[in-house]
Amino acid sequence: MSASPLPYTDTKPQGSADFYYATNATFRFLLARLGEDGWRRYLRDLGRDYFAPVNRAWRAGGLPAVAAYWRAFFAAEPGGEVEVRELPERVEIKVRVCPAILHLRAGNRGIVREYCRHCHILGEARAAEAGLQMRLSGGDGACVHTYATPAAALPPQDPAAIREVAS
Amino acid sequence: MIGCHDFCGHYEWTFAWLERAGGHPLVRDYWDAAINRDSQRHARELIEREGFAGMEKYWGHTLLEESPDLGFNITTSPGVFRIDMHDCPSKGFLRRNGLEQYRDYCDHCMGWTGPMMREAGFVIDHEHNHRGQCWWEMRRAAEKGGHAAPGSVSGAKDVRLRPDWRPPGAVLDRYVKQTDPDRKSPPAS
Repeated sequence: MSASPLPYTDTKPQGSADFYYATNATFRFLLARLGEDGWRRYLRDLGRDYFAPVNRAWRAGGLPAVAAYWRAFFAAEPGGEVEVRELPERVEIKVRVCPAILHLRAGNRGIVREYCRHCHILGEARAAEAGLQMRLSGGDGACVHTYATPAAALPPQDPAAIREVAS
Repeated sequence: MIGCHDFCGHYEWTFAWLERAGGHPLVRDYWDAAINRDSQRHARELIEREGFAGMEKYWGHTLLEESPDLGFNITTSPGVFRIDMHDCPSKGFLRRNGLEQYRDYCDHCMGWTGPMMREAGFVIDHEHNHRGQCWWEMRRAAEKGGHAAPGSVSGAKDVRLRPDWRPPGAVLDRYVKQTDPDRKSPPAS
């Protein structure tokens, strides 16, 4: 069993950034073929199913497991600048430079304007499986993710707090 | 956030999700529209423009980035571009992590490179053994030949010379001068 907080690990320390092209293209495809509802359904299913081992680890380990996961996650992503802070009742992930948006822009790729919303839709589905809440603010290259226990009583997600990507 | 360090995992999961959502036609559409025409448009443009030289540039860069320990070999000969994959970084990731949602992950390679090659004027001879090993030969569509004898193009680097290329019970998927992911040939005897 891997000691990494990541459920799926590679032999390389970091992934290949060109794969962000495929994620962006997948979103464009799903939005075009299945509409926004289909895209949302895809992300929620991905969060509950593919990420089930992480969700279980979060449920068992609470916020320290959430913090450990995101530290390991961004260490394995190339090019980002991220700080993970453990606070009472919440973990804040301050993404100063989003590695995906950075690479997509460097590659002159048209980014789907909904791109940053995927972090909330996916994160919310995963957090719910772990008995947590997730909120997102910012976007378009810099944002803050918050994972919190119910005791934090976070206000509902403000959709306007998530910026669209300006390609 | 969806990351790139475990890309092959959620990519493979996506094939199965798409098949449930829209059947096999939606999976094929995804490989062509999203991967060939969007994500990998840099490969497409390079190979359309430069042919064999474009293949060498694209796969030389991509495979080196994904497989820095050189689990592959590229051979360029007159009229043919060949890849021998001895340790596929992508299938290897799935096997090491026990991930298998879709019936044949390896089909995605023909799924996106097939349409790309067809439109650039090439056809593909290919076999994969579902164990992270495969080989590819690209030739101009009008060119004769295909399925060159083991060792005749890439010498000792030919993946078919490995003792574990076809272990008992392994099923080889085989394509002959093809660009359509659904047109597999019967296995060679």
